[in-house]
Amino acid sequence: MRISPRLLALVPVAVAINLVVGGVVRELALPVFLDTLGTMLVAVLLGVGAGVFTGTLSQLFSGLLSGYQYLPFVVIQWLIALLAALAARRRGFAGPWRATAWGAACGLACGSVSAVISYLLFRGGTGGGVAAINALLVSLGIDLRTAVTIGSVTTDVLDKTVSFLTVGILLRRMPLRILGRFPAAARAIGQ
Amino acid sequence: MNRMAPGRRAHPFTPGAVALAVMALAVLLPDTTETTALYLVTCLLAVLVGASRAVRLALAVIVPLGALLFIMQGIFGAEPRIAAPVFGTLSQPGLAWTASQTSRLAAIVTASIGFATLFDPHRFLQAAIARRWPFGVAFLVVASLDAAERLGEQARRLREAQRTRGVAVRGSLAIRARALPALVFPLLLTSLTEADDRALALETRGLALPGHRTALDPPADTGADRAIRWLAAGVVIAAGVWRVVAR
Repeated sequence: MRISPRLLALVPVAVAINLVVGGVVRELALPVFLDTLGTMLVAVLLGVGAGVFTGTLSQLFSGLLSGYQYLPFVVIQWLIALLAALAARRRGFAGPWRATAWGAACGLACGSVSAVISYLLFRGGTGGGVAAINALLVSLGIDLRTAVTIGSVTTDVLDKTVSFLTVGILLRRMPLRILGRFPAAARAIGQ
Repeated sequence: MNRMAPGRRAHPFTPGAVALAVMALAVLLPDTTETTALYLVTCLLAVLVGASRAVRLALAVIVPLGALLFIMQGIFGAEPRIAAPVFGTLSQPGLAWTASQTSRLAAIVTASIGFATLFDPHRFLQAAIARRWPFGVAFLVVASLDAAERLGEQARRLREAQRTRGVAVRGSLAIRARALPALVFPLLLTSLTEADDRALALETRGLALPGHRTALDPPADTGADRAIRWLAAGVVIAAGVWRVVAR
């Protein structure tokens, strides 16, 4: 199997972005995760396959820090890679409105899948901010299935919208010398 | 005499195989008593192989998770309910599920963090090369861990620098949200520039060329290592067969 030097250089950085930016956001205690920025970036720059590989590696490494109980959520990383690559093909990062629309659609898809995994495997108790929202909704008398769906979809729509906007801004601010090496990225921002 | 902890002396694939076996058993074992016993055995193993830190770190993950499951299932769970000294009544099936799930997760988290405590990326790379694994994949594992450490350090320095320039990272949601671009965009742009330079360096050093590499210092794969890995696989297969037959 031959892996291109560009992939060998970019994937580790993208995995590190997923892990580190997620940590920065946690420290700021914001209601988003931004822990899939690296996966989105690689999917936009190098395609779905590279994005899926980055997402899988990120999930494996985050498991080293907090346990592998969240490994089933790797499916979300794959879905993000697929949708980010699709958005790039359709010039989904060409402006803030397009990025917002694609981000919201990605959040809706990821939130729905995440709700199913979260309900079936954890009954909504996955830990972190989403689970706190789920617990709050359950305490208000909403049934668990609905609470998990509302919690997952709301947080994912917000998170993926901010993530798509961030990737869009990053692609537009990227030095031209680097952007020139990735034709898919240039198309993603409508150049 | 080699004073390194047994877990670090072992072949790099051995702790991984044991951790995988524990995780598989945590999923396969049906009863709370069994999963609790598995958790205790995992803790004991972690202490014996020199990864006792993992037991403490895992508790920091499990305790809040267990508390959340207790609130959602024990307090707000389904009928029938039983009397409790606090909280009035508690859900009986909710409590049973919480106990079962928490013990399962405790075993998984302890095994994962125990493996992380013992994992040495460079020994892993040497072992993967010696086993003729695809070099690119093994390199990506090691390079990702190195990159995460480097980027984490950059993020810390950047945060300090931006703070001295007056970027507020505490306060209301709006204040904290405003700090985000100042902390994230420089980090992302630096990383991408670095990746571009690195791609050139990797190309000139022929890292992407096909062909097998020679491991300079491959870790020893002793008979004990192989026996432990086979035992781990055997226990998982036996548990799987038992689950199917017992059903």
